Amino acid sequence: MKEVLYRIFVKRQEKYWWMNILVPVVSIFIALIVGAVFIASTGRNPFLAYKYLFGSSGLIPGPYFKSHFSEMLIASSMFIATGLAFAIPARAGLFSIGAEGQFIVGTITAAFFGYYKPLANLPTIIHLPIVLLMVIIAGGLWGLIAGYLKAKKGINETIVTIMLNWIAFHLIEGWLVTGPMKADVATGVSGTPYVSPTAKLPIILSGTRLNISILIMLFLVYAVWFLLYRTVFGYELRAMGYTAITNMEAPKIGGVNTEKRIMQIMFISGAIAALGGSFITLGVLFQYPPVFEGGYGFDGIAVALIGGNEPFGILLSGILIGALRTGATSVQLVKIPKTFPAIIEGLIVVFIALHELIRYLLVKAITKKKEGVSA
Amino acid sequence: MEALSAKNIVKRFPNVLANDNVSLSIEKGEIFAIVGENGAGKSTLMKIIYGLYLPDSGEIYVNGEKANIKHSRDAINLKIGMVHQEFMLIPRFTVTENIVLGDEPRKFGFVFDYKQAVKEVEELSNRFALVVDPTEKVENLPVGIQQRVEILKILRRGAEILIFDEPTAVLTPEETEELFKTLRKLKEANKTIIFISHKLSEVMEIADRIAVMRRGRVQGIVKKTETNEKELAKMMVGRDVVLEIQKVKTELGEVVFKVEDLTVKNQRGVVALKDCIFDVRAGEIVAIAGVEGNGQAELVNAILGFLRPVKGTITINGNEMKFITPYDIRRKGLAYITEDRKRRGLILQYRARENIILGNHTLYPFSNKGILNDNAIDEYTTRKLEEFDIRPREAYMKAQNFSGGNQQKIILARELSSEHKFLLASQPTRGLDVGATEFVYKWLIEEKKKGIGILLISLELSEVMGLADRILVLYKGEIVGVTTPEETNEEELGLMMLGLKRKVAQ
Repeated sequence: MKEVLYRIFVKRQEKYWWMNILVPVVSIFIALIVGAVFIASTGRNPFLAYKYLFGSSGLIPGPYFKSHFSEMLIASSMFIATGLAFAIPARAGLFSIGAEGQFIVGTITAAFFGYYKPLANLPTIIHLPIVLLMVIIAGGLWGLIAGYLKAKKGINETIVTIMLNWIAFHLIEGWLVTGPMKADVATGVSGTPYVSPTAKLPIILSGTRLNISILIMLFLVYAVWFLLYRTVFGYELRAMGYTAITNMEAPKIGGVNTEKRIMQIMFISGAIAALGGSFITLGVLFQYPPVFEGGYGFDGIAVALIGGNEPFGILLSGILIGALRTGATSVQLVKIPKTFPAIIEGLIVVFIALHELIRYLLVKAITKKKEGVSA
Repeated sequence: MEALSAKNIVKRFPNVLANDNVSLSIEKGEIFAIVGENGAGKSTLMKIIYGLYLPDSGEIYVNGEKANIKHSRDAINLKIGMVHQEFMLIPRFTVTENIVLGDEPRKFGFVFDYKQAVKEVEELSNRFALVVDPTEKVENLPVGIQQRVEILKILRRGAEILIFDEPTAVLTPEETEELFKTLRKLKEANKTIIFISHKLSEVMEIADRIAVMRRGRVQGIVKKTETNEKELAKMMVGRDVVLEIQKVKTELGEVVFKVEDLTVKNQRGVVALKDCIFDVRAGEIVAIAGVEGNGQAELVNAILGFLRPVKGTITINGNEMKFITPYDIRRKGLAYITEDRKRRGLILQYRARENIILGNHTLYPFSNKGILNDNAIDEYTTRKLEEFDIRPREAYMKAQNFSGGNQQKIILARELSSEHKFLLASQPTRGLDVGATEFVYKWLIEEKKKGIGILLISLELSEVMGLADRILVLYKGEIVGVTTPEETNEEELGLMMLGLKRKVAQ
């Protein structure tokens, strides 16, 4: 343990490594201040708004804390999933914005294997893993399409993933949900049928909806960190990312099979996004609704950005975005639209994007102080 | 008269004192050379004079007056000009457009007067006898002429003090000669020239006075007439340097590398290499001499699998390389030292330890079942840093923070430690100072003694003559000369490199 800490903190060789933590924190803080200015400029009370926003976000104990807390973690686990799905290819120099499509592929796959009759009578311990496995395969294959085209044909992965988002969306909402997977009219359900109780994610906090999805994501965050920093796979992945602008020549000469790696990376990314999508079906809605309010995939880009494409950073930023969304409804009590937290989210992204400037100002402020002391 | 002087300049970067109390005085109308190893602080000093860095303390005087240079604008106003190592030209623009950019002649105050600009450039080029075609696009010009455009650009701004930051690093020997003629003409026109280099032979040829820098300090300032290369090298490195290469005779073994009828087209679809036939045997150094751009890059890319040959075969250790991709090559017993350290040799953001295992990272003990073994990597890196004298001995420092010479040592440590019988060394000493060059030569000879077959691609004739057992001369993608150092001399090689002479055994 001591050695690990030594490795993390002492051997880093970067002068201001702790800036990597301080800069996002400062960015979030500035975003909150600017957000307060926005509210004040409309004549409303910013302190009250933040009190309601964070009071019901699940971060700070208060009334109904238990339910807010569980709602926050349910939302967070999905944001963490799509955040990781963006970050893994990003670390390899691939700009994949296909998490949105992969997410709903996961949602629909979970719905199908959740209500699929031959499986419905199996116990949860067998049924649920089968569903999740199918979700991983389906999402992974959906991601693999872009990976294959990139690796073998050199087609830009960003454009392919955008296109695949639309293909997934129209295939599911335009055909599957209203066609082959439509619920029996006699049941009076619109959208797909409800999943069997054996496919639902087990609840871990009684009296709430909080299920094991957050535990799965905690494990995945650790697994992705391990993959990135402790395995040959991660070593090659990061090497590819650092040399993406020079056509990955150095890793290729170093014996990295970049084509194979690109396909593997896109599969993993798609699988994780789809897993996030399955939590909707298996933990919240229990079906694929006729009209699905998505956006988790695109929010994942913001989550990854705020988290600096680091697994543990994404864990924290995913919880932050989850908390903002959970608290969003309450701000209406002080006559602020519930889209207001989205403004804060946007501001955070803006200030994170300005991280070089913030880092520069912080370093300058600190070095000046030090000089002042020594003088 | 004193044109420029620096007094007690101190500049500190994190972890390193780049300029430690540097004082220099440069006379008007002289060619003043500054030599030193990579990382000795030459470039830092020039960047301070040109206003790109601010010194921590110290003063600069221009024409005897204290100058307050805070920005390169200030330097230009004081008639200081700088020719950078990487040219600041826009390839799509013509020579004239590049030269007048930022200070264009105008009609009616706002219309760009191209004709007037061309006239000005012509007049300027006549005055300094720097021949250029003002209407040619820069992208079509060879590097030597591009540099000339860069010089004209700063002359047009009225520069009296011209700083050249390693101007010959990108030039061929002929282009270097041309540059020296230009420098002498500029000297006749009473311009002051500061010439930064680490090539001692060039400095001895062109400079009037020479300042030697080492570890941020000025070791001494000498007149050219009062010194020699050996003494300069000693001042630069701090110990005696063996510049001559000791010839080693080795037993030649089996053929480890062979190309037959190799024809390669480059990315633009032009035949860049035509029907090349040669082989390399164990314990032998075969050198490919030639002016850059005569097919060397394509040869390397074909061997590495980046380009697929149109015709012919490449054989390494008896395995024919067919439909090979770059990552397969590593397993065929090939080691590769590259001139393009930043692009091909290293992953700059990776630490020394991560770079030093690249290529072997899948092998035990560095990884086991796909999981990296940090302790084994650390232990190995520490050992290799010691063995190859890589400084500083920091396994956790990023590759980009090492000096050029030490970056090359990291590559050597990696490549020479991996399993191989054939070594492809593509301009292994490009951009290296004398100390590092000597080091590379030493290791190449070690390899040769071990019975490794080496294909050396080089632009430096002295290197070719000193190291090679056999010399092949490449001109326009063809082998126009096959010879040995004993049978030839530098002049003859030069003629063959320019395509003026052929010497191929029938």
